[in-house]
Amino acid sequence: MAGKNGSGKTTLLRALAGFLRNVEGYVVIGGTNVTNYSADKRDIILVTPSTCFPHLKVDSHIMWGANLKKLRPSKEYVMGVKSGLGIEFEGTVGNLSRGMRQRVALATALISSPRVILVDEAFLGLHDREAFISVYGTFAKEGGADVIFSSQDEADGQLSDHLYVMNNGLATLKR
Amino acid sequence: MNWLRLISIASLLLLLVPVFVLLYYGLGPFRDAVGYSAEVFRSIELTLFSSALAVVADFILFTPLAYYLARGNDRVAETLVDIPISVPHPIIGVALLILDSPVSPTGKILLSLGINFYNTILGLVTALVIMSAPIYVKSMLPYFESKDTSPEEFATGMGASRLRILFSVVLPNSSDGIASASLVSMSRALSEFGSISIIAFYVLQYPFYGVSPASVTIYEFFSGNMSGGLNAAVTASAVMILVAIPITLAGHFVRRRTRR
Repeated sequence: MAGKNGSGKTTLLRALAGFLRNVEGYVVIGGTNVTNYSADKRDIILVTPSTCFPHLKVDSHIMWGANLKKLRPSKEYVMGVKSGLGIEFEGTVGNLSRGMRQRVALATALISSPRVILVDEAFLGLHDREAFISVYGTFAKEGGADVIFSSQDEADGQLSDHLYVMNNGLATLKR
Repeated sequence: MNWLRLISIASLLLLLVPVFVLLYYGLGPFRDAVGYSAEVFRSIELTLFSSALAVVADFILFTPLAYYLARGNDRVAETLVDIPISVPHPIIGVALLILDSPVSPTGKILLSLGINFYNTILGLVTALVIMSAPIYVKSMLPYFESKDTSPEEFATGMGASRLRILFSVVLPNSSDGIASASLVSMSRALSEFGSISIIAFYVLQYPFYGVSPASVTIYEFFSGNMSGGLNAAVTASAVMILVAIPITLAGHFVRRRTRR
């Protein structure tokens, strides 16, 4: 989902995630109308550049959502996600660089197996962005999750299956 | 000339006049050994102990309320929080007395459960909790409001409840705000007189048997009920100020660090 500053990308993502309730229309995921579901019941995770739990260690962070949902992902899968997303570091998340924190947050979202992951410009600070998005998309597809990510650059549409362009709060499907 | 600065300094000095007066006379011309006797230090000890307990209770009981107010839009609850400190403080002492009186139904129940407020540490701490909790909540409220909500929203998306988010996500990253609010509310508890002079004029429990809170002891010196009179009251007040100032300053410095 590409669009300039103020085009409404974040507003739309927050409405999808259930954090903006006074909006018109419907949010339907896989045939289920979740419009009246509270944000904690929608199974939609919103990741922003400042999303993380600074007090946790990397491994505890990555497993946070899965533990909450009582999921038991295999060790191989978790190691695969960590390796694929370039998480080859340890330590307390709050002490990591911004890019490292974003990787950890995105991995946490992935391993908690939601239906939808909304990435609000959280791919922007990554040095291997294109490769990262490709790997992330593959993991998400394997896990049955859709990923919607926002960007200011329409060219980023090449990295996704579909491209919506936001303008004045209106999303237009370009591809 | 910066008139605003000049007026501000003058107002500040006006506020601090009582403190300067007490420190000057208490440690100088009016100094009386009774004012810093073992009895006074026992009073201060009781005050520090009960205030610290009150702050622990504030943290446990009122942090969820502060968070709820910060993330919700409940203006009525926010206003109600201020009521205990906006009424004359002795009223709270009287209320606790009635609540736990053998003649009231609630008192009968509480006393049958062994809960006695009158001249006990429990009564003293309860009064201090009621008087300091509004300050604690009002300190935590802007702190929570100023925090980035994206980690909370992230946790919400993973299905976490509000309470779970408070304890697992917000509080582990709020030690500076909690420390600041605790110190500020402890300062408030240390200075309480009105309510505790009714419910716990002195404590009849180990290890503070027969000890009054510091503010009550100072009043007792002043009113002539304890030997020492005005000089002892002024000296004990100066000592109490010296004890309270570091706590107030610590709260201030932590708050400033939190705002950065």
